[in-house]
This record gives sequence, C-alpha cells and structure tokens, in this order.
Amino acid sequence: MAVIEVKNLSKIFTIKEKKQGFKGSIQSIFHPKYRKVKSVKKVNFSVDKGEIVAFIGPNGAGKSTTIKMMTGILFPTEGDINILGLDPKKHRKKLTYEIGTVFGQKEQLWTHLTPYDNFKFFGAIYDIPNFVVEKKIKEFEEIFELKDFINTPVRNLSLGQRIRCEIVASLIHEPKVLFLDEPTIGLDPVVKENVRSLIKRMNKEYKTTIFLTSHDVSDIEKLCKRVIIINSGQVVLDDSMENLKYYYLNKKIVEAKMKEKVSLEDEEGITILKDKEYNIKIEVDTEKRTVADALKLLNPDNIIDINISNIPLEDIISSIYKKEDQS
Amino acid sequence: MRKYLFIYKSEIMSNLQYIGNILFGFIFYFLLLFVFFHLWDYIYSDPEELIHGYNMSQTIWHVIITEILWSSVGGNKLCQKIINDVRGGNIAYNLNKPYDYIGYSLSSHLGIATIKLILYIILGFTLGFVFLKDVPIHTLFHLLIVLFSCILAIVISCLLIIMIGLFSFIIEDSTPFYWLYSKAILILGTLFPIEFFPSVMQPILTSSPVYAVASGPAKLFVDFSWNGCVEVLFIQLFYVGICYILCKLVYQKGVKKLNVNGG
Amino acid sequence: MLTAVKNQVRVTLLTTKYALMKEMLNKTTFLMNIVFMILNNACFIIQWIILYSIRDGIGGYHFQQVLLLWGIAASTFGFSRCFFYKAFNLSEVIQNGKLDSFLIQPKNVLLSVTTSEISPSAIGDLIYGYIMLGISGFSISKFFLFTLFTVSGGFILVSVTVILSSLSFWFQKADMISEVGDSLLTSFATYPEGIFQGTMKILFYTIIPIGFINYLPIRILSEFHLGYTALILLIMCFFVSFAFIIFYRGLKRYSSSNLMISKI
Repeated sequence: MAVIEVKNLSKIFTIKEKKQGFKGSIQSIFHPKYRKVKSVKKVNFSVDKGEIVAFIGPNGAGKSTTIKMMTGILFPTEGDINILGLDPKKHRKKLTYEIGTVFGQKEQLWTHLTPYDNFKFFGAIYDIPNFVVEKKIKEFEEIFELKDFINTPVRNLSLGQRIRCEIVASLIHEPKVLFLDEPTIGLDPVVKENVRSLIKRMNKEYKTTIFLTSHDVSDIEKLCKRVIIINSGQVVLDDSMENLKYYYLNKKIVEAKMKEKVSLEDEEGITILKDKEYNIKIEVDTEKRTVADALKLLNPDNIIDINISNIPLEDIISSIYKKEDQS
Repeated sequence: MRKYLFIYKSEIMSNLQYIGNILFGFIFYFLLLFVFFHLWDYIYSDPEELIHGYNMSQTIWHVIITEILWSSVGGNKLCQKIINDVRGGNIAYNLNKPYDYIGYSLSSHLGIATIKLILYIILGFTLGFVFLKDVPIHTLFHLLIVLFSCILAIVISCLLIIMIGLFSFIIEDSTPFYWLYSKAILILGTLFPIEFFPSVMQPILTSSPVYAVASGPAKLFVDFSWNGCVEVLFIQLFYVGICYILCKLVYQKGVKKLNVNGG
Repeated sequence: MLTAVKNQVRVTLLTTKYALMKEMLNKTTFLMNIVFMILNNACFIIQWIILYSIRDGIGGYHFQQVLLLWGIAASTFGFSRCFFYKAFNLSEVIQNGKLDSFLIQPKNVLLSVTTSEISPSAIGDLIYGYIMLGISGFSISKFFLFTLFTVSGGFILVSVTVILSSLSFWFQKADMISEVGDSLLTSFATYPEGIFQGTMKILFYTIIPIGFINYLPIRILSEFHLGYTALILLIMCFFVSFAFIIFYRGLKRYSSSNLMISKI
C-alpha cells in the first residue's frame, strides 16, 4: 500500500537578477530582470508503508525542495503529492498530525527547557491529552535510552543527545511517515551509529515509514532497502539497494603484492589501475572476464598477499551523479 | 597618530556603500522634525513671539542642530559594538595589538559619523529652509566655529558611549544605561534650549555633558556670541579630556578583571 | 471548531510562558530591562511639564490627558512587542526562510511565529502605561476601557507590521517598508492630536491608523462614547483579518531557504 505518491512534481523559483555595482542596482529597480530556476522537474515516485527510503543526490539537486513540498512547507509549481490520502497543499494542518519532520541543521526544541518539558510542549501542539503524553514519554525513555538526560536543559546536552531528542520529539504524535533531512549531519561516528539504531528501532517498533536524505553513504547502506537518486531536479534512479549493488557492482578490484615484478597490459575486461614495483591493482569487469582469469594472469605462485574487493558504494553513487551530468 | 588616521580613512571608504542606509535614516529625522514643527507652530501664537528669549525659528533650529548631532553619532550601533567586544571576548584579542582600544574604537566610529554628519547637515538645512525660510547664523566664520564645536560634541558623545559600553565589564549588559544616556540627551539637551528649564537647573545643565554634546553647539548656532563661544568650547575641550581619561580608567579596570577571571 | 480554538489558545499561552521563561534565565538583566524602560518613558514627563509651563491646553489636551496619551501609547506598544515580538522581525524571518519549523506544526503559522519570542523591555512599557493611567485618574471603568484599548490598539499595531512585513514574500526590501510603518505609528503617538491639521488628520484615521490606537481612546476615556468604542473594535477586526489574509496569500510564495542555497 502506497503511503506516499508523488506525480509530475515540479518547482520553479523566480530569482531577480541584478547587475553589479550601483548602476545595476538602479537598473534592477526600474527594469527588473527575472530568471526562472527549475529546481524540481516532473518527479514521480511512490513509497509503501513501512519502507525506509533513502532520497539522495548532490548539493542543489532538489532534495530539500522536494521534501519541503511533501511536508507542506513549499508550494509546488506543478504536480500532485498525496501523503496518506492528503494533499499537503490543501491540508497542511491535517497532514502535520500524521507526519513527523526532522531537519538535521534546524532546531525545533526550546533550548532553555528540558527534553521532558519540550516533549510536553510538543504534546500540547498536537493536542494530545496530558496523561497520554506522560505515558509516551515513559515509553520513549525506555526505548530510546533518554533516562540520563531527560531532565537536563537542552542547551546543556551534547550534540548527539540533542539530535536524539529532536528525533524523539517528532515522534510524540506517533506519525505514520517520518521525514528526516540529513539527520546525522555533523555528528561523530559513534553518535551516528546511535542515531541510526534509533531510526531502525522506530521503524521496527512503530512500523513508521521513513523518508530520509543524507550525504553519508553509510547511513544509506545501513538503513535503507531502497534508494531514490535525484540529480538536477530529476529522478535518475529508483531501485532497491540490492539491485543497485548488483548492477553496479559488476566490477571487482584486485590488489596484490607480488614476489617478483610482473608486466601486464590492459586487455578486454581488465584495466590496470596501478602498477608500481611489486604492488599491482587491477579492475576486473566481471561481465567480460572472471576473477579467476585475472588471477591466472598474475600467476598465483607469485602472490604474497591479495585483496579482492567491491567498488565502494560511495564511488558508485558519485559515478551515477557524474554520468547524469554528462548526459 | 598616523595609524588612527588610517583606520579613520579606511572606515570612511568602507562605509560609503552604506549611504543608502543612511538616507533611509533621513525618514526618521524628517518625521521628528515634522512633529516638532507642528508642535511649536501650535505653541507660538506668533512666530516673532519670544519664549524664554527664543523666537519660533530659533527654537526649531535648535532642534535641527541637536538632532543632526544625535543622528550623526548613531550611538546605539557603537554601544552594541563595544558591549559585544567586551562580552564576546574580542577585547582580549585586541590586548596584544599595538594600538589603544579606545583610540581604535573612536577613530573607526568617527569614520561613519563623518559621512552621516555631512549628509544630515545637508538634510537639516534643507528642511530648515523649507519650514522656516531663514537661518539664524549670518557669517561663514561663525558657521565654521559652530562646525568645529559640533565635531567636538560628536567626539565627546562617542567617548561617553564607549564608556557606557565598557560598563559591561562590571554588569553583564549595559544597554539599559545607554537608554538612560540617550534619554537624558534627548530630554535635557535636544528638545529645548537650556533657558527653557527652571532657573535652578540651568547652571547644572550648562556644566553637564548634555551641554557639551547637544545644546552647547546648537545655542551657538541660533544665537552666536563670542562669550558663549569661549564658554562652549572651553567646556567641550574639558569634557574631551575628562571622558578620555575616564574611558581609559574603566578599560584598565575591566581588563584587569578579565585577566583575573581568564576572560 | 471550538476545541480547535481552545487548543490553539492553550498552545499560544504555553509558547508565551516558555518564551517568558527564556528571557527570565538571567533575572538581573530581565528586571533591569523592565525597570529601565519604565524610567526611560518617565523621562518624557519632563518634556511635557516644560511645554505646559509655557502654554496650557496644547492641542486641546489637559496635562492629565497628555499623561493618559503617553499611557495608551506605551501600553499598546508594550502589548504588541511583549506578546507578538517576532511580528516586528517577520520580514527577516520570511526572507531568511525561518518559517519552516512553524509550517510543520499543526497550529496557526502566523500566531506560532509572532508569539515565539517576547521582549522584556516591552513589559516595562506595558507597566508604564498602567502607571500613567493611575496618575491621570484611576477608576474601575477606566481600567477596563484602558485595557480594552490596549488590546485593540496592540492588535492594530501588530496587524500593520504583519501586513507590511508580509510584502517580503513579494519584494526583497520590504523590511524597510515595515520599519517606516512602525516608526510612523510611534512618532506621532505621543503628541496631542490637535497640533496637526488637515491632511494629517485624514491620514491618522486611514493609512496611519493612530487615530484608532491613541486619539479616539483618549476621547472615549474622557467621555464615554459607545459608537466610537464599537468603531475601534470594528477597525481592529478589519486590520487583523487583513493581516491574516495578506500573510496567507504570501505564504504560497514562501521559498524557504532554498533560494539562498541556489544563489551561492
């Protein structure tokens, strides 16, 4: 069952252009020139209940714009959005009861209050009766391990504790869909891991559908089963994580340390990446040649040490970005 | 001395682009003058009538001049800058630089004030002509003396505001003191000539900073006399010295406190 | 519908309470702000003592009425800045895309934004207004009327600034327009109506509505007039509705912080 449906979504920003200098300023007052920037162009996708979807793309690709249109912050120029049967353009208020939103860089919490008071405040915003809020806070305290700092003012919390509270605060009203915009930005690896396990638990315990943007590939690798890649305002890939790896991981990297020097040259399906004295690094296209072929070329008796690995996901994604830019 | 001149010059250059914002400030100046013109027009039944020795034109020119002085100083910005320096720890960075913090703050702020002074003089005189159709000062030489007195007034005002900003060493935020200062200048120095106050207050006001930064130069402008001129300039020079010394004292006290507490 | 209003009021009050708590973190600064603002306003009494020593009945007002005029000017100003402080920074909020966090909450956006901060010095203004009411002659009925006009005038002030600031959805320099608007409303507010003539009077009851914020209430406080009171409330409703309409019209053009990113 689809909980999110986006059809032909577009957003055009109009920007006033100004020439440099004083003369330019005067000109822009009397003859303003406008430039239209298409930030999102006819985007289509849908998300099913309980999915964790990564929505990724390079800077300025239109990620935030899309997420902001889906949460009712921005008005779309064209197209339809349907979230849990509601149109954010028309039912912004109604929709906010059903969804939760966390922007990694922006704070929603009152910093002079404790997380406890903040949660109570959010409870009031979502019209939740007091005793329900109390119960909810107890529950979160357990599940998300907030006990140690639930009564410390937010301004005295560490960044990691703070972002955990931000996320938990957006769960007070039990949203069915949660939008996370860069939830791990600026966090150290330990805290990142912590936030990830929180997101996973949330998805498991409450069946929350999660729509997440991130620049951190390991976020995506560890959390998501599906990836939507957007570049210059268009969806360039919408596939499962497995498929992404399968199709794009048809190349293996073989790194070997040799007893004696071997001289190899590029041939069909094999590319020499590095050949320096006794160390050699080659890329094997597994559609054309097998890894065994490559090993034979190297002469197994001569190998001291060997490492065969996949191309990192990060490289895959950036190669997708680049490919799109060229075309 | 040359480095202060340089700071002053570069501040002028960098502020030329803010002229737009200054022009925007003209609206507030105009509004105030507009209200005052109507107020005095109502109170004076005849423009030639004398109230405490001033005719209507003189009373309004007094406000024009004192408001030029006040608007040129732009004290709020200066005060906030000093307070931020003190509270944000910027002052600690300035400690090891080869200039005096007071001299630096003063000369850099005077850069902005100079531009404003020129523009506000143009505006004030235009409005004066339009509303009143005459100027109470008649010789260029007198005018130059008044201009000199105005510059001294601005210097004193800046020093006093720097001192108020430095009070932030002692209490956390000295903004409320700035409000009181600005109100004292407004009520006691800007709105009326000294002669409008009860005679008991007049000698106190004349010897107070209010006279040096506001009503002194304005009085010279609307009713020039050589006696008054000597008196005003003497008081002003006295206050330049006193204010600078006081600023230094507060600064040194504050810096000592900063060292003890480690910023 | 009724519960929705009730919930909205509950959240608004809670927001104000928390915003107040935030300002009270540093008690000395908080109290200083209030006390000094009262002193600051009190300074102006000197101005009027001097003016009234020259001539009585300036602009048709007795000295008592001038005090009351100051009272109503301070209390309306205080009320608007105290409870709706962010309304006076609305241009900046709109231009820098800071509305996002309010848009994802299920409450009225305009109310949530404007009430999200309070100004401690405005509390001083509000208190000063009531002190002036006390000095100029206190009675229970005057107290109620004064409070009514404080609220109505405060709402008009907030509405005007919201209307002008909402232009930021369309134009870039709209913050200047709203600043001029605010200063127009405060510059004349403390001077008797009678010193202005002709065109100015028309302006005071149209585009610079201080007639309804200050002058008419002074008349009613001197001599009660039901029709004028109703008129003030009607005008207030007009300005408030207009503010909501303009703001929500503009909200459709809201560009969040996305435009700034694409500018870099």
